[in-house]
Amino acid sequence: MKSVMPDMQPMNQTVQETPVFQVLTEDQIEQIYFAALEVLERVGSRVHHDEALELFRNCGDAVVGDDKRVRVTASLVERALKSYPRKITLKGRNGKRSVALQKDHVYFGTGSDLPFTYDRKTGERRRTTYNDVVNAARVVDYLPNFDFFMSHGIVGDAPNPQTYDRHQFMAMLEGCTKPYVVTSVDGEGLEDLWKMACLFQGGEGEFRLNPMFVAYIEPISPLTNDQSAVEKLLFAAEKGIPAMYTPCPSSGATAPATIAGMLVQSLAETLLAIALCYLKRPGMPLIMGGVTTVMDMRTTTYSYGAPEMSLASAANTDISKWLNLIMFSTGGCSDSKQVDEQAAIESTISNLTAFLSGANLVHDVGYIDSGVNASLESLVMNDEIIGMVRQVGKGIPTDEAHLALKVIDEVGPGGEYVTHDHTYEHWKEWFLPKLMDRSDWETWNAEGGKTMLDRVNEETQRILDTHEPEPIDDNIRKDLKAIIDDADKRHSK
Amino acid sequence: MTFRTNYTVNKTTRFRLLSEDQKARIFRGVIKTLNDTGANVFHEEVREILGKNGCKVDGKRVRIPPEVVRDALASLPPTTTLFSWDGNEEMCYVEPGRSYFGPGPTPPNFNDPDTLERRPYLRKDATTVARVCDALPNIGYVQSLGSISDVTNGLADVYEFADMIQNTRKIIMNWAFNVENLEDEHRIGIVMAGGEEAFRQRPNFIHYSEPISPLTSDFDAIGKCLYCARHRIPQVYTPCSIGGATVPASHAGQIIVAMSESMVGVVLSQIVNPGTCIIIGGVQSILDMRRTIYSYGAPELGIMSAAFTEMLNYVGLPMYSTSGCTDTKKMELQSGIEAAFSIHMAMLSGANFVHDNGYTESGITGDIFQTVMDDEIIGMSRLIAGGVEVNEETLAVEEICNVGPGGHYLYEDHTMKWFRHHWQPTLMDRNSYEDWDSQGRLTMKDRIVKKTRDIIENYEGPESRVPEEAKKDIQKVLDKAEERVRSQS
Repeated sequence: MKSVMPDMQPMNQTVQETPVFQVLTEDQIEQIYFAALEVLERVGSRVHHDEALELFRNCGDAVVGDDKRVRVTASLVERALKSYPRKITLKGRNGKRSVALQKDHVYFGTGSDLPFTYDRKTGERRRTTYNDVVNAARVVDYLPNFDFFMSHGIVGDAPNPQTYDRHQFMAMLEGCTKPYVVTSVDGEGLEDLWKMACLFQGGEGEFRLNPMFVAYIEPISPLTNDQSAVEKLLFAAEKGIPAMYTPCPSSGATAPATIAGMLVQSLAETLLAIALCYLKRPGMPLIMGGVTTVMDMRTTTYSYGAPEMSLASAANTDISKWLNLIMFSTGGCSDSKQVDEQAAIESTISNLTAFLSGANLVHDVGYIDSGVNASLESLVMNDEIIGMVRQVGKGIPTDEAHLALKVIDEVGPGGEYVTHDHTYEHWKEWFLPKLMDRSDWETWNAEGGKTMLDRVNEETQRILDTHEPEPIDDNIRKDLKAIIDDADKRHSK
Repeated sequence: MTFRTNYTVNKTTRFRLLSEDQKARIFRGVIKTLNDTGANVFHEEVREILGKNGCKVDGKRVRIPPEVVRDALASLPPTTTLFSWDGNEEMCYVEPGRSYFGPGPTPPNFNDPDTLERRPYLRKDATTVARVCDALPNIGYVQSLGSISDVTNGLADVYEFADMIQNTRKIIMNWAFNVENLEDEHRIGIVMAGGEEAFRQRPNFIHYSEPISPLTSDFDAIGKCLYCARHRIPQVYTPCSIGGATVPASHAGQIIVAMSESMVGVVLSQIVNPGTCIIIGGVQSILDMRRTIYSYGAPELGIMSAAFTEMLNYVGLPMYSTSGCTDTKKMELQSGIEAAFSIHMAMLSGANFVHDNGYTESGITGDIFQTVMDDEIIGMSRLIAGGVEVNEETLAVEEICNVGPGGHYLYEDHTMKWFRHHWQPTLMDRNSYEDWDSQGRLTMKDRIVKKTRDIIENYEGPESRVPEEAKKDIQKVLDKAEERVRSQS
């Protein structure tokens, strides 16, 4: 009988299955955190909302000034911080629990509410419409590397600006089955969107367990919370709706010109919301956020392509992980007015940095023109970029098969690997490009000399022509319409 | 005033792909491959040297035992300084974490700066590349982006170096067909440095040569390696390994083969002249199986290069990495994506010399416009890799409290001071739509062409500062080389 020895793996091996990337040490994070607490103790943040002010007044850990400025103790903030969930799983309207927001899981999605869209026929920009949002939704529904959907464009042709958010959500539901991040006009708007989502989910309790969307809410930098933002926050806290409170500071204008200072201020803004939601109802799924970037000093543009945005966002993600909060970050966006080399470069750098940092929801993918213009082509281009970026996440496997020492010895000096079984077994681990051209000069010319933009255009058209998302059930559709009609009626008076 | 103690900061970002255990395991693979499989060395003298110094020689095959590898690694210099040809400036430090980006060597074609059409690389292009690279702030060293087609056959390398070194003060990485041509280039370096001793003290070029995957050192390549080692010329000895063709398709296997074949050069150099500077690494990418192209844009290139850099850091060797290159035939979206991806990976990994910034068409056509685009990307990437400075001043608590809720920072002294630290784009457009529209709706490519041509026309390079004597001496070297080639044919 032949004795067979077991596979003798080396012992005590720690393997880097994915890359590791860090901007800040724990010491640096602490410094930023302590500074943010200092800001909340000394100057605080202004809150334009009576119920919120009342909550702070009654809690014993805050001082509310005549100018509605709220200063809070570190003690309250630290108690509050312990109450937030470290995991939220989002479910699409098709029932798939596809987005597991937990430490170092990275998901990519669009941004929202862009006023302009490039018309695919004329090439000129025009106001964004309901149909544009449906089309963006369909494209995102199709693209495999997009995990969640924000509206991309704003429904500019809604009957009433006070209810555009319901129509916009309807357009999103029409086109896309993946989980959403939604914007709303005010607390009442958010309530309607929440009711619409509950129709798909079979009620409030189910929504709490498997929320279909996250509500996007933002303070105004520096250190100001307007009425509608707080209204939405408090409603979300009450109903257990996941919400992100996302400062959009502009370094040098509405925040200090240093990245560290911008992070201190935006963390102070976040921590105030952390305290407030805790006072309202401990345990709501609140998500940390931030579009942290610079103001370009020559053009005064709020830059979506600046390397500072990527760096500050990655640092902010380090802070979020230390605080055990889920992070809403930014990537795949550009200041370029068109889908050109600049858009390609800025998208690549920001997607790669956001992915490496481990941010959970990376939004604004596909923004061009510094958050003014919506382009479907940019979405399609970014899908390929994210595919490349995710390849980095596969790391460098170093097991026996990948070290390939026997194969190396067998092939020897001067040999070849093309025909070796080992190559056949492993080349499929490589990234398989869909839109990148790797032909030689002659073939490329013979095939028409197309650029990637040509292929992006063709692919965009193909998706628009062929992709239909899973339809919405007729009964649900009726109920959705009733909610929207009711809102329009209320606001037409 | 400082109250805090125990404060550790990331001065730059930290990025890694491999754990210590993984690096140790890959390195054991290299040791085993060198000891058991070995490499073919097509150079009798080199085999003799290796054989006398502990290697096992069997015909062409040389096997290197672990203790020989260990001794070679132990004698590597921890740092080497390279100087501008006038000797006045320290241009590069070859040491861990210092990254210099540059173009690459020898594509047959060049993208004509005037016509924007692809054509054979000409002598005048070497000067253009040197001048443009001299002007670009994020290009740290220079290679030619081509192989000259319009000089005497067999002297493209010498003419290239002779012209380039007079048109940039940055370190040039030259190449040579053979040892004789390398000697010519060495003489040119000596002329520019002002004598042999001056050159030894202040070397002004790095020599580039290539072993062949898998595990082969041909006569010319290892001969040049030997020459550089003897004359203490800093050198690069790196393969262009093709995953799935000349090396295994698995990344770890590819790194093991590539590192092993370069270790032949490392061992030889340290035996011949302990402490001489040698850099390894190379182009690490894959064979696209659908198009059978050696891809310069694949994400695997950036990933493997970053892992290779970590391996070399682990054993104390500098890394010659790759970035800023593309598979496209004309500048477009894909060029930007592929270049940005590989540049950012190389930057985050902290590779030492990162070449091929300006390669297009999978290494077939050199394109100075691509280099100019890459210069901008390197600037962006460097800012990110530079990390976040966290101290009392940058935390800006006083400023935040002074400005208060609803205020703004535009007129703060703090803003005036720190605004200057923001990255300033030269090619990225941040205009409003209206301004962009009224200024002619330029694409980034339009701006790149404009900037490049502006440099070519208006940049005053160092050429006028080259002493007349040196120019004459260089011409003498060229004349002698011509004579030698004539006599050989």
